[in-house]
Amino acid sequence: MIKKWFKSGDPWIWLNAAAVSASLIIVLGLLALIAVKGLSHFWPKSVMQAQYVQATATNSNPESLRIIGEVHNQEEVTLEALHGMGVHLELDALTATRILLKTGNRDISGADFKWMLQPYLKDEQYPENIVVLERREWGNFYGFLKSVKSDNKTVASEDTAWQELETQLERAELIYKQIREIEKDDIGSINYGMEQIRLGKRRLELEKEDTPERIQKLDLERKQLEKEYAVLEQDLKKLYKKFNRDSIIAETMSGQQIEIPLSKIVRAYRPNSLNIFQKIILYFEKLWEFVADEPREANTEGGIFPAIFGTVMMVLLMSVLVTPFGVIAAVYLREYAKQGAFTRTIRIAVNNLAGVPSIVYGVFGLGFFVYFLGGNLDQLFYPEALPSPTFGTPGILWSSLTLAILTVPVVIVATEEGLSRIPRSIREGSLALGATKAETLWRTILPMATPSMMTGMILAIARAAGEVAPLMLVGVVKLAPSLPLDTNAPFFHLERKFMHLGFHIYDVGFQSPNVEAARPLVYATALLLIAVIVLLNLSAIYIRNRLREQYRSLES
Amino acid sequence: MDKSKIGHHISQQFNSELEEIRTLVLSMGGLVEEQIRNATQALVEGNVELGEAVISRDVKVNKAEVNIDEECTHIIARRQPAATDLRLVIAVIKTITDLERIGDQAERVARMGIRLAEVDRPKNNYHEIQNMGDHVAKMVHGALDAFARMDVESAIEVSKRDNQVDQEYDGLMRQCLTFMMEDPRKITQMLDIMWAARAIERIGDHAKNICEYVIYLVKGKDVRHITIEQIEDELSR
Amino acid sequence: MTTNTNTTETKTHAVNLKSLGREQRSNVLKNETTCISTDNLNLFYAEKQALQNVNLSIPEKKVSAFIGPSGCGKSTLLRCFNRMNDLVDGCRIEGKINIDGSNIYEKNVDVSELRRRVGMVFQKPNPFPKTIYENVAYGLRLQGVKSRRVLDEVVEKSLRGAALWDEVKDRLHESALGMSGGQQQRLVIARAIAIEPEVLLLDEPASALDPISTLKIEELISELKDRYTIVIVTHNMQQAARVSDYTAFMYMGEMIEFDNTDKIFTNPSKKQTEDYITGRYG
Repeated sequence: MIKKWFKSGDPWIWLNAAAVSASLIIVLGLLALIAVKGLSHFWPKSVMQAQYVQATATNSNPESLRIIGEVHNQEEVTLEALHGMGVHLELDALTATRILLKTGNRDISGADFKWMLQPYLKDEQYPENIVVLERREWGNFYGFLKSVKSDNKTVASEDTAWQELETQLERAELIYKQIREIEKDDIGSINYGMEQIRLGKRRLELEKEDTPERIQKLDLERKQLEKEYAVLEQDLKKLYKKFNRDSIIAETMSGQQIEIPLSKIVRAYRPNSLNIFQKIILYFEKLWEFVADEPREANTEGGIFPAIFGTVMMVLLMSVLVTPFGVIAAVYLREYAKQGAFTRTIRIAVNNLAGVPSIVYGVFGLGFFVYFLGGNLDQLFYPEALPSPTFGTPGILWSSLTLAILTVPVVIVATEEGLSRIPRSIREGSLALGATKAETLWRTILPMATPSMMTGMILAIARAAGEVAPLMLVGVVKLAPSLPLDTNAPFFHLERKFMHLGFHIYDVGFQSPNVEAARPLVYATALLLIAVIVLLNLSAIYIRNRLREQYRSLES
Repeated sequence: MDKSKIGHHISQQFNSELEEIRTLVLSMGGLVEEQIRNATQALVEGNVELGEAVISRDVKVNKAEVNIDEECTHIIARRQPAATDLRLVIAVIKTITDLERIGDQAERVARMGIRLAEVDRPKNNYHEIQNMGDHVAKMVHGALDAFARMDVESAIEVSKRDNQVDQEYDGLMRQCLTFMMEDPRKITQMLDIMWAARAIERIGDHAKNICEYVIYLVKGKDVRHITIEQIEDELSR
Repeated sequence: MTTNTNTTETKTHAVNLKSLGREQRSNVLKNETTCISTDNLNLFYAEKQALQNVNLSIPEKKVSAFIGPSGCGKSTLLRCFNRMNDLVDGCRIEGKINIDGSNIYEKNVDVSELRRRVGMVFQKPNPFPKTIYENVAYGLRLQGVKSRRVLDEVVEKSLRGAALWDEVKDRLHESALGMSGGQQQRLVIARAIAIEPEVLLLDEPASALDPISTLKIEELISELKDRYTIVIVTHNMQQAARVSDYTAFMYMGEMIEFDNTDKIFTNPSKKQTEDYITGRYG
């Protein structure tokens, strides 16, 4: 019976199906885990208020502390372990529940999170008027709003305070935007221009062409810029004055009253009073902030837009570099090189390159591109900036080039595969019409091989977008001051360092001062990295399929 | 080309089809040859019964022609023969046409025989007719033999003998004319004899045609409408 | 058979053979202008000799067919005429091939130019994955013709020449890969004649097609022979018999016989030819 079943081949089908299902479950599980952990971070949780009464045997009349915070995590600990920590708890059960509470107010208490033992918590409630303030520094604030002050005069207190806060916050946000605009764009470009003038002067000096007229011309430009700067500075001063006008008085969980300027507040909400729709709106607001904003507080708060931008930019640049390079190499290997032991060796070497650990490429990129190529480029073209390097330092160009070398075998192999699949008769048909080999290649063979080239590119993108290790050596930083693409000519700054999602994960997850707060961000960033890779791949696959459509009947 | 070459096709079926039409032609030839001999005999001996038998057997000759014709058509349609095979089929088609004509001429001789049996017989007892008849019968036999063996030499030899038949025919004509002038009452009888002789002479011509087809079959050269000397000259090249 | 007009006509039915129209059965090539001729052509693939001492004169503006068993070298010979064998590694050629009197294996010969003069159509239809229009215009574009008017004109003329115009005139800008096999093969022929070659080499042009398409191709060949010297390689003897004026039989790399097609198919002079065409091979 069993024998017959084996002979029928069914077991193999089951085995195969099981393998496929297992891989599917693993992938989906991974995605689900990341999605749940990452996406739930942005949900406005209710904030609990409770009395923490640490009753012990020795102290029969213990102190009662007010606790306010979001429940972040809970776990079971054995009493024994607690005993070891010096906590003597008498319970019927063997374990006690421990709650991780995000109490915020790092500026006052020194830590964002606190572990609380459930048995000590009494009188848990969720008062509607608890306020959560997301601040530009020191993390979240949890507490009660007491009053709003404007120019040191109280304009609203208690009941009306919340409304006043909301309107004033909107105003502050508007001013903040203006300030950012001036600081980032206007002053940024003035600084850039000044730097260019400085470098221009230095260049003239180096080239011994620093005639007084030229110097004067540059000085004039410089003066012009300085004038503009002075105007902007005035504007800024005014804006800052307006910006710092308002502040609030708030009460922490320990009853302490502190004053918080509105300029330090990013967002304020009362989670316990929000209904589900308001929560959803808030949720998407926060999600959007994460995707589209810049990071704050050592990357643990705010968004990760620069990292997304850097990743996509680096991958696109890498594709632009690797595709022609790989295609040309493949065309030579397949079409021109004499097939023999030598080409076989090259092919084997190329295939093996794909297996070299990526960090090795990073070391190579650092040594060759950054120090050797970049150093020499600086000597030749940017002597005015020395000793501070222009290209002789890690940057997005070198990162892309390093990854291009890392992925070029993939492109070569895929393109060669595509070239070898083109029927001989097509080449002969073209040659028989009087085309030279180059014309045949250019007009017929290469267009027909584009789907394979795209396949190679897709594989290259898939590999490159996930690489982090080599990038740490050749261009990625945890916080880049500016994007590689901006409004200052020549718009495209290949020498700049950039942020990368992969590295961001590493940085936030392991290098952050506030690991507990950052953990959900690690998941969210990972999810975004996956989304970016999938998006890049999907667009490449879409292009390839459209190309393939054209040649489908030929391949059959 | 020799006879054995009909075989050796990759297709055994084709071999047997070609062999079959060849055999059919030979057996038709045998039948026709017998018809000639019987018709001559009937005329010479005044044997009415034999004459009628010849007439009725002509149907068989006609049937054989139709039958072989059909076979040949099938071979052309199915096999698209080339070179020798093509020439064999063409030669067969032509040969059977001539054989059928020979059959018709034999029938004519037999009819004349039946008519002549009712009148007085001449002294020499139709000696010349007998001679001519034997002669053409041998020619037909020789032609079929050449066909069977695909023998160009004997084909040429047979066609040469046609001259002799022609001479004998001329002689007989003169003799008949003399008789007719001597005795006008014998004109009808003499005309019948002349008709019979004419038919026999035609048989000789047909036999010669068959020989030419054999040459075409073997050498692939069309030797119709030229002299024997030209043929020999052509073949020797 | 030679005319022997001096022979005395002893018999009345012996008539002058000339009047019977059989005199041209003499040496086949006497009345033809030679277009391609080979002179002791030997071809080697590495150490293997594929063609042995081929001597051949292919007449101008006629259809010549190469027949023979597989591997006899007929395609190889055909591909010598436009130097397609240059693409094969280890292929070496001795002897000469003259087209219009000049040796095409001379060192200074421009191979592209040669291939422009000697067009070729292959066994399997091989249209480029482009539109019908672009397929036909391919050769002209290679020559740098850009004028839309000229291109339109030539495309139409070539498609008409290949008896394809009426079938495709409404979909010139659709992909050529959507056509049927027979249409594709005619498109390839149109593509070849668009650049006005002198010679058209057809390598088993109908072997991948159904009988009706095959007949169309054959019909096309007989229409084209007024303008081009056509050399066709075919496995199908009946096809050679139908379309060609002259037929060459090749066997084991040797040219066994080259003669008038009528002669080859009724009365070949070599036994090997005879055995092959009557199916007595081996």
